[in-house]
Amino acid sequence: MERLRRNPELQAWLLLAAPVIFLLIFFMAPLLIVFIYSFLERGKYGGVEWVFTLENIRRVFDPLYFRTFLRSFNIAIITTLITLILGYPLAYFIANSPPHRRSALLFALMIPFWTNFLIRTYAWLTLLRTHTGLINVSLMNWGIIEKPLPLFGNDFAIILGLVYGWLPVMVLPIYAALERLDKSLLEAARDLYASNFHAFRRVTWPLSIPGVVAGSMLVFIPSLGAFVTPAILGGGKSLMIGNIISNQFLGAHDWPFGSALSMVMMIAMLIATVIYFRWTVKSEALA
Amino acid sequence: MTDTYAVELQDVVKQFGDVIAVNHVTLQIHDGEFFSLLGPSGCGKTTTLRMIAGFEMPTSGAIYIHGQRQGYRPPNKRPVNTVFQNYALFPHMTVAKNVAFGLEMKKLAKEDIKRRVGEALEMVRLSGMANRKPKQLSGGQQQRVALARALVNRPEVLLLDEPLGALDLKLRKAMQLELKALQEEVGITFIYVTHDQEEALTMSDRIAVMNNGIVHQVGNPEEIYEHPADRFVADFIGETNFIPVKVVALSPAIVVELNTGERVHAGWAEEGLAVGDNAVLSIRPEKMDLLEPHERPQTPSHNIALIQGSISHLVYVGTDTRHTVTLRDGTNVVVRLQNVYIGEEPWEIGEETIVTWNAAHARILKE
Repeated sequence: MERLRRNPELQAWLLLAAPVIFLLIFFMAPLLIVFIYSFLERGKYGGVEWVFTLENIRRVFDPLYFRTFLRSFNIAIITTLITLILGYPLAYFIANSPPHRRSALLFALMIPFWTNFLIRTYAWLTLLRTHTGLINVSLMNWGIIEKPLPLFGNDFAIILGLVYGWLPVMVLPIYAALERLDKSLLEAARDLYASNFHAFRRVTWPLSIPGVVAGSMLVFIPSLGAFVTPAILGGGKSLMIGNIISNQFLGAHDWPFGSALSMVMMIAMLIATVIYFRWTVKSEALA
Repeated sequence: MTDTYAVELQDVVKQFGDVIAVNHVTLQIHDGEFFSLLGPSGCGKTTTLRMIAGFEMPTSGAIYIHGQRQGYRPPNKRPVNTVFQNYALFPHMTVAKNVAFGLEMKKLAKEDIKRRVGEALEMVRLSGMANRKPKQLSGGQQQRVALARALVNRPEVLLLDEPLGALDLKLRKAMQLELKALQEEVGITFIYVTHDQEEALTMSDRIAVMNNGIVHQVGNPEEIYEHPADRFVADFIGETNFIPVKVVALSPAIVVELNTGERVHAGWAEEGLAVGDNAVLSIRPEKMDLLEPHERPQTPSHNIALIQGSISHLVYVGTDTRHTVTLRDGTNVVVRLQNVYIGEEPWEIGEETIVTWNAAHARILKE
């Protein structure tokens, strides 16, 4: 006891013990299992045979699956871009509102989270469905269109659902960065002959990049692994890598292949993240 | 409009909602002048500066810079630069990039920018710091970067908003002299906002004393200190005794009567005072002297005030001693005497004394 009191390092480790043990058991260990499984053969009724193979990894790059991989990346990138384009002005507006209104606006931004994500996605279904969806039915009743628009069961519907779901997550870190921004810096830029545009380009934007990076990561990563949204709004035709992975575990009982897909996706995500970080840090330095 | 002034404000008013921050201010600031706006916080001095910079637009009135009416011209189109109170250096740029910012916005050639940034950093003795980020500099260094960033653009007028406020006393004193020397070197008009009267007196060619949005007096430091125009200025600048009096005569000589019945002459009376009015006699503590009762001159003169009192308090402050004297009506006045005595302090508490001053130093001001 006496030793503990005198040793701040030991105290720190004791405080960390609980989260470290938790993460070891429930995060690192499963990750390790997934890693090991990806090099094993599938069992006949699920599970694995303890035989080493590289076949699972090779299959990931089979055009059949790899194309879905690329499409998922594509969808995640487009989703991130659209949430950024929509989210940045929103964050900017909230950050520049009078303080008493800011909390009300942030509160409004969080309201959708009160409803279960699954329910909200189904709500989109009733809007978008091709023949019975509210949008197409209304437009056809009003005689604006003759044939239903392709709003459902495609990438458009998935991206719409993802943008809708992740927009608040993009807004919050950008808002935090903009709210911290010292307004006198903008006055200084204006004083030094910068137009409003140049003041934004040279001061506001570079100083908000940490928020943009954080927001983009928070949107990109879950979008890439999305599985509820494509399952519902993709209409079973348009799938993402998350759906294929879940199929391997739940439908095809091919755990090793599901693991291999997960591993490759995680590594790809890691690489994309690193590249993105490098690029933004460099563009910040150039400002 | 006349083009003889670097900056001219004509009847400028600025209202924020119901609050009148600047109330009918008219000022003429000469070319090459070190001009200070002095006043307590909330007096409208910063708002005045921000209107010249273009960050705020006047509610009414006009602002001219070298004869050119500014109107709604935005800050980036005005020939002035600002040194901000908290410096407002761009944290993501190096010192050199900060200083280059204005020149880059003006789209100068790269070589010119490089040369002028080098010169500006040399001027503020920060050449070795060009590649540092603002965070890596001390407060004094950041302040010099802010100065270089503004001056590198060779503005017609440099606006400074309490630029030394964040520095400690010693550094502030050093920077005051440095700033003044720099201003004389570059010959640019400086408009300097401060609440520190000593700073304003030390550095300025002329000072405008402001309170509640109104300019109370404009003058050089000596005028402001020696000839305060009203009670606010006398009170705000330096230390002053205010002795309640009644005006007895205004011409040919100004004569007032104290509550004690003693009458004294004064050198100047504020406009608008009439015989019979209650007023205050304003006199600086260092303009006064103390006499032993037996030293009372045999032949009284109008020019010399002689008021009875007794010593009630002594405070030794190094170079001099503050003697608080209670007059017969209970009014306290402070008399500062230089410590030139040999041996012990000549006055003791409770001693009878005669407070004396030259009538020319006394100013009669409205209550």
